[in-house]
Amino acid sequence: MIRRTGPLVAVAAAAALLLSACGAGGRPSEGTGGGDAAASDVGITTTSVKIGGHFPLTGVAAPGYSEIPTGMKAYFDYVNAAGGVNGRKIEFIYKDDAYNPTQTSQVVNELVLQEQVFAIMGGLGTPTHSAVLDYLNAEGVPDLFVSSGSLLWDQPTKNPQTFGWQPDYEVEAKIIGQYVSKNFPNAKVGLFLQDDDLGRDAEKGARTFLDKQIVAAERYTPGNTDVAPQIAALQAAGADLVIGFNVPSYTALSQLVSLRLNYKPQWMYSNIGADPTLVGSLLARFSEGKVTDAGLLEGMISTRYLPTVDDPQNPWIQLFQKVWDASGADGELSNFRVYGMSEAYTFVSALQAAGPNPTRKGIVEAIQKTGKSWKGPWLAPFRYSADRHAGISGVGVTRITGGKTERLTPVFVTDNGTAPITESTEPPSVPPASGIPEVAPAG
Amino acid sequence: MQQFLNVTLTGLGQGAIYAAFALALVLIWRSTRIVNFAQGAMAMFTTYLALTVIEAGQSYWVGLIVALAGGLLMGAVVERLVIRPVEGGPELNAVIVTLGLFVAIQALAAILFGSTFKSFPAPFDLRGFTVGEVNIAFTPNSIYVILAVVVVMVALVALFRFTDLGLKMRAAAFSQEVSRLLGVRVGRMLTLGWALAAVVGSLAGLLIAGGSLVYPAYMDGVVVFGFVAATLGGLDSPGGAVVGGLSIGLLLSYVSGYLGSELVALAALAILVAVLLVRPQGIFAKAAARRV
Repeated sequence: MIRRTGPLVAVAAAAALLLSACGAGGRPSEGTGGGDAAASDVGITTTSVKIGGHFPLTGVAAPGYSEIPTGMKAYFDYVNAAGGVNGRKIEFIYKDDAYNPTQTSQVVNELVLQEQVFAIMGGLGTPTHSAVLDYLNAEGVPDLFVSSGSLLWDQPTKNPQTFGWQPDYEVEAKIIGQYVSKNFPNAKVGLFLQDDDLGRDAEKGARTFLDKQIVAAERYTPGNTDVAPQIAALQAAGADLVIGFNVPSYTALSQLVSLRLNYKPQWMYSNIGADPTLVGSLLARFSEGKVTDAGLLEGMISTRYLPTVDDPQNPWIQLFQKVWDASGADGELSNFRVYGMSEAYTFVSALQAAGPNPTRKGIVEAIQKTGKSWKGPWLAPFRYSADRHAGISGVGVTRITGGKTERLTPVFVTDNGTAPITESTEPPSVPPASGIPEVAPAG
Repeated sequence: MQQFLNVTLTGLGQGAIYAAFALALVLIWRSTRIVNFAQGAMAMFTTYLALTVIEAGQSYWVGLIVALAGGLLMGAVVERLVIRPVEGGPELNAVIVTLGLFVAIQALAAILFGSTFKSFPAPFDLRGFTVGEVNIAFTPNSIYVILAVVVVMVALVALFRFTDLGLKMRAAAFSQEVSRLLGVRVGRMLTLGWALAAVVGSLAGLLIAGGSLVYPAYMDGVVVFGFVAATLGGLDSPGGAVVGGLSIGLLLSYVSGYLGSELVALAALAILVAVLLVRPQGIFAKAAARRV
């Protein structure tokens, strides 16, 4: 009879594995973010400011996104080499959460309780950062410039510590939607959405202009790499223009599946999933005689709200290239590193605005007071105020042509809901000679 | 209709991979009476070996041979060094050891090969066929995958049913003492069982990687669904593993295509629980319960 225990044990273990595969959103344990009275606030000394972030350095969202913190670090190092902000060097600690909300809770706990960071900076991902949103606000930790376009970060009454940064998915989808309704008025539109707030916000924005044109909306679960059933459903619905709101690896996966299905709609991908260098490198190996040619992405439409590395004449790209070369880190300057550096540039602006003795309360108030007017690499202004914590207010539409990003429209500016879409009138900004923002204390 | 056809064919392709993986689990179960949870991690590791070879400029087939040889060696080494010390104790020990091995190999792969996504080439065309106006979600590569699984299944059935070696392996797994008395080198049989299972697992790893993206955790889903497939078919039956794998592939594809991809893991759990409640020995198992 002894032998009978084998299958039972095995089955119990498999059931446990399956349960964990079903996913469980962990809750952060309650703790007290103790203050250190010697300096102006937690994480601040006379010579340093300690901040932290969570990023997917491994797992499905790691391609591309894992480069963001390296860009941020390079820019902070550049500022530190020039003496820091008000004599304080910025110490940036980033941890891997593998795009898994349970791990996000754990690493953010470590950052807040063990590392005693002043603020969380650039925490990446909608499902991941949602898991720590309540915790950070309950603890009063500034939760600055979340690396995600969800609308969740713009709830100043409920989450006074949290600020968005990139254009939210609704704003981006509205501008994409208007572009499609004007330029592809007869297209049958299919949506390929990540099944969380990312997809939901985007669908809301896209339906503002495209409700009548949308024939199907299909959702994939991050982590499940078989998207064939979803793409087959879009094909069956007759969609001849597909808009994807997904992370970059799913851009590659959806392209591979479409190849199998002989499905050739006009592809559009949200900025977050559309980096041509990254997606191209993921697909490149299949081009060796097996896939028609490397031009799978040719003609793909996307958006921009930051300068891109294929425009080396841009003064911001020149600055960031200098910063990256000075950092001595491995790899090339990529659009993801530009993104990280732009976020870091925003943080330095915020720290300057918070004045010579920054506090957690002070930096939040400073962003609300003057954030709207800060100049930087972003192509449209932030929407920060006492009752708005929303980030960049617009995007321009682009197309991949011959491996390069081609501009299809000027930058459009809009806001959530029924706000009109207008062309941006601001002249393009240029970086200050030092490469470091010069923001006056908001006092 | 088009969608049904495509979802079905995709499910079959996916199912063939689960089947290959379930076969490896069945093989280890038949030859050692242990369920190897490190199977997926071992397969991932050999797939990375193949990728390294391919990146160095060799062809896919050289990579395949290196991966299978690597699997053979790895299976034998793991059995000798890691599993042998806990053999003979409670069976739970061996299972826990394989779980630990799973974590360790995954971490080692991340250190050696990096944790970024890499694309893995396919030996055949990834473009689907078209017949007239109808697109068929079936590629030359899917045919290769299915053929490979069928060949392995037939070879395994033949090994266990028609050869002396297969008989010895089964005997060694069933009753070590009696086998020893009858002159079977039990230790060698166990090592051989692990080595062969690791070869089949390595093949499954390569098949799922072909024409897709690999990263240290890419086998995790396959491990879980492959296990459900093996349970469904009965852990003892190679034929059952293949039928189980194809059924799971199809069912999950329908769930994902018609109900929503968020329900896939839940559906697999429901299938597992249902099978265990209704027919715990698996659909294809012959004996209701073996008494020793």
